[in-house]
Amino acid sequence: MTDAAIDAPAAIVQPQAQKRAAPIVPERSVAGRTLVLLIAIMTFLSGVTLGGVVLVQKSAIAWSSDVGREVTIQIRPVEGEVMESNIRTAIALAEATPGVARAYVLSIEDSQKLLEPWLGSGLDLSTLDIPRLVIVELSDTVDVDLTMLARDIATINGASLDTHAAWRQQLNTMAGTIVFSGLLVLALIVLATVLAVVFATRGTMASNREIVDVLHFIGASNAFIAGEFQGRFLALGLRGGLIGGLAAVAFFFLVAGAAGSIIPDEASAQLSFFVGRFSLGIDGILGIAAVVPVIAALTAITSRLTVRRFLTQTS
Amino acid sequence: MIEFTNVGLRYGHGPEILRDLNFRIEPGSFHFLTGPSGSGKTSLLRLLLLSLKPSRGNVTMFGRDVGALDHDALLDMRRHIGIVFQEFRLLDHLTTFENVALPLRVRGQPESAYRDNVTELLQWVGLGERMDAHPPLLSGGEKQRAAIARAVIGRPEILLADEPTGNVDPELSHKLVRLFVELNRLGTTIILATHELPLLDSFTYPRMTLTDGRVSFHD
Repeated sequence: MTDAAIDAPAAIVQPQAQKRAAPIVPERSVAGRTLVLLIAIMTFLSGVTLGGVVLVQKSAIAWSSDVGREVTIQIRPVEGEVMESNIRTAIALAEATPGVARAYVLSIEDSQKLLEPWLGSGLDLSTLDIPRLVIVELSDTVDVDLTMLARDIATINGASLDTHAAWRQQLNTMAGTIVFSGLLVLALIVLATVLAVVFATRGTMASNREIVDVLHFIGASNAFIAGEFQGRFLALGLRGGLIGGLAAVAFFFLVAGAAGSIIPDEASAQLSFFVGRFSLGIDGILGIAAVVPVIAALTAITSRLTVRRFLTQTS
Repeated sequence: MIEFTNVGLRYGHGPEILRDLNFRIEPGSFHFLTGPSGSGKTSLLRLLLLSLKPSRGNVTMFGRDVGALDHDALLDMRRHIGIVFQEFRLLDHLTTFENVALPLRVRGQPESAYRDNVTELLQWVGLGERMDAHPPLLSGGEKQRAAIARAVIGRPEILLADEPTGNVDPELSHKLVRLFVELNRLGTTIILATHELPLLDSFTYPRMTLTDGRVSFHD
């Protein structure tokens, strides 16, 4: 038997004991690069969506919290009433209310700044009879008696109390809608990822039919075979997830940098009003980081279930 | 060890490929399975490998009715049966060592537990120096010996071989069959399917002959 002689002297050859055994499902046989790219894109979209949701929610909470810490007394000019006297009365009544830290009137200049976006700059308000605003800062937002304050303020002719409740309600509704929409988009991305992995797994099973048959003939259980494919897909999911996650974090850093230098100051200020300074913060980054193992696990579990189903149908 | 009682096999709604099979294989025996092409040798081997269920009749192996076994029990029983194919069916991306060790690996054994056994077996079949080679680099004879080593590494009680000499020259065929003879001497029950008459005439083992789906025995 030339053909490596059956009775040739037995050579003492050490097997590659230290080398890690090759994977039973060859890496090349899985549509690896395409799947990694697809998972990277899905993770990127998930990360960006999640980051956007985090930014909006953080801004809404901060804005709502800021607005909630103060209320405003508006004193309209009324004929026969002395504005300065009414302002002093309003401040005194406000400061006498439990839960109020302090109250102060907004200067004419500050009022002018507030009206600039609508009326333009360089306006001389001294010729106009405009309402004056008294800002009331709250020391205790829970126990402050705003009902009593509203009742007291109503005794001043032309004065009213604005607690910004309607604004806060609208803001919370808007933020909730954005968060819900973001979660819906995330769910769709997850569904699309699952479907893509199912198709990729089926393709891989078909192209590795010979390996599956051999494994069956030598006594491998369905669980073992599914585990081999799961391991391969977990590795692909992790790789794609890492690429997509890093890209999403980089995206937010780039946008934050661009927002400061490319977008005009006024637009930038209005944008930052809604989403802050595009700063994700550690919780946002951790959220995106959490997407990576979730996508990888989803890929692995989906492939395992698909393989088990395939094996059950074929065996 | 193996008992067939009134066994018949058909694929789907087609005609019976195997019919009225009644025989008994004793432990430690050696049988040639022969018959013309298309006579059902491979189908009978698949029944013996438990990868097919008979359309009728009973198959008893290791004292248990195969038809009554669930998936896990079938899997466990299959681990007592080794199989060698004509076309080798080695995995090209694994080395010879890894191919031979595969049955032990799928049972969850660590490499440290089987390394010496696999090495020893590969040396015994003459592949001691080809352990790190991948199948595409092996000759036909080397591939078949690797396939035989893979089939016996799990110490099966029954070894089935489907035309194991079909892709090698006559001289090598004889040597491969002698390897099966050696395994039989060590206690393994062998059923070797072949239609090479010169090879059959060289050995004196009993023959199971399939003709028109029926089996007959000749010493």
